[in-house]
Amino acid sequence: MVTQLQGLPGLQELINSVLKIITSRTFLEIVVFPGFLNVLLSAAFLTWLERKVIARVQLRIGPLYAGMWGILQPIADGIKLLFKEMILPELADAKLLMLCALGLMMLAAAPIVAIPFGEGLVIANMDVGLVFVFAVLSLFPSVVLLIGWGSNSKYSFLGGLRSLFQQVAYEIPMWLSVLGIVMLTGTLNLTEIVRAQQKVWFVIPQILGFAVFFTAALAELERTPFDLPEAETELVMGWMTELSGAAFMVGFLAMYTKLYVMSALITTLFLGGWSGPSIVPEPLWVVLKTFLVAGVIVIIRGTFPRVRVDILLRTGWTRLLLLALANVFVTVIMIWLGFGWVWRV
Amino acid sequence: MFLALSALIVASAVFALEAKELIYGAIGLGMSLIGVAGLFILLGAEYLAMFQIAVYVGAVVVLILFTIMLVRRESGRIVDEEEPASFGRAGTYVAALVALAVGGAVILLAPISPAAPEFYRVQLQELGRSLASSYAVALVILGLVIGATVVGGLTLVKIEREEKPSGTAQ
Amino acid sequence: MALGSWSLLAIFELVIFITTFPLLAFGWLMGAKGKNPIRDAPFESGQTRLGEARLRYMMQYYPYLIMYVAFDVVAMFLFTWGLAFASLPFAQGYLFLVFVAILAVPLGYALYLSGRRDLW
Repeated sequence: MVTQLQGLPGLQELINSVLKIITSRTFLEIVVFPGFLNVLLSAAFLTWLERKVIARVQLRIGPLYAGMWGILQPIADGIKLLFKEMILPELADAKLLMLCALGLMMLAAAPIVAIPFGEGLVIANMDVGLVFVFAVLSLFPSVVLLIGWGSNSKYSFLGGLRSLFQQVAYEIPMWLSVLGIVMLTGTLNLTEIVRAQQKVWFVIPQILGFAVFFTAALAELERTPFDLPEAETELVMGWMTELSGAAFMVGFLAMYTKLYVMSALITTLFLGGWSGPSIVPEPLWVVLKTFLVAGVIVIIRGTFPRVRVDILLRTGWTRLLLLALANVFVTVIMIWLGFGWVWRV
Repeated sequence: MFLALSALIVASAVFALEAKELIYGAIGLGMSLIGVAGLFILLGAEYLAMFQIAVYVGAVVVLILFTIMLVRRESGRIVDEEEPASFGRAGTYVAALVALAVGGAVILLAPISPAAPEFYRVQLQELGRSLASSYAVALVILGLVIGATVVGGLTLVKIEREEKPSGTAQ
Repeated sequence: MALGSWSLLAIFELVIFITTFPLLAFGWLMGAKGKNPIRDAPFESGQTRLGEARLRYMMQYYPYLIMYVAFDVVAMFLFTWGLAFASLPFAQGYLFLVFVAILAVPLGYALYLSGRRDLW
């Protein structure tokens, strides 16, 4: 792909090197798949999916007019939000809010670099992939707290506090629930964890861990039945109340990006990642399973009522934590009984 | 790379000290700690870097932020009132620079040539093994300490709730 | 291009920043401006600002944050231990269980207490 140009010799080299970078595998991975475009389009798709599924659950139809089946609805929403005025309360810190919205998006998308979408198809094959994801997740509460505080509004701040406590309470059970997987495979590398599931997916031996992780993930994503920080009839939008216009769009998209990434993580950890019959290419398996998980999460939203905040916190810190520790105990027994070889990489 | 990270760490720390609003100070602290995690990565301790972020930036900074936000809530702006251009402040920075200069001189002029730290990736499994075998007693004691913390935390929650007549929701 | 994992992460984040920042800038510039005391007031569904009792109420959950710090550190040790677990002899494996049990006991008691709502 060498283009011949008369004129400045340096320009031709520049174009060549730019072309080489753009078509390099790394760049394609980062920008197209499984990187940026994948994340963006999937998050937008999930907003549409949610509205459609919730609508069906509630015996409605959902978005209908923007394109076939309303599939272009997210684009319409995005364009509308972009042109809306960004109303900010007095004394609210505009720069801080926008910076935090940006930070939310960057944080939400970050774990995707470590999640494998096929044998060797991963942006950054980190040896500490699993704890990298946890570290990124642990940064969310502080950003949310800053948004709630920076909005200078009681509703927002209260929502931010609730979100903080909720996420903090459920992060520990989430971490401990995957300890069983770590013990069985002896690695933190997500690619290796998927490879270890070639015979049996972890959802079966680690069923308890899966249950705990799924519940904790629902709490991390602030989805029903844990969406108190966003309780629409109580706090309007919780900590996102004062974000409007483009900032809201970024924050809203960040939440669905997080949903996509967490679903992909669940797929990687428990549902075997890319493994499946070869009639379907490997990355497609990952995408299919991820959307399956996301779909279940969306259906749950339409089905369950909301949990009160003190019950929520208490359950997370006591019952869920104990269940996670019980899962570790079960795993220990399993390894001592000699079953560990099945998943040894 | 090392220089860039060090500059980030020091700049964030200075920003944290100088910021008028306490919240910005906490954010500066967070940036500084993330820089430290970056240094850990440069040294090959990725695992430690990840938990540095998770524990320090994820938990400690949150604690600080929460405390700032709830303990001093006057009219939305938390400002660290301080007289401008005081000798104390200037003196602090001068002292820091002097310490840096002296330390740098000592390191550069010392007769011992420092062995460049090799990029040795710690095998995590080895780490776990040695932790379990050599330091087992220390770990059990740590477990007891953390258990005490948990008990304390849960008791505090109980006490705090008792001081509020908890009726229905909210 | 053989780049380290962290550089790739940095590049990825940069891509996101480059694409998201213009959106925010665009929204900031395009929105109508107008200072209006009613519009600038924080959203409270039409009511004027009320007291601070609700926020004081959240202070009672402060100890949960302290427990979070403690368990964060615990998680670090548990993961290190757990990585090597499969290759450990039984004796050291028991220690791991002892560690987990020490942590689980107060939690179990808290679980019991949560059933007795009058005490907790």
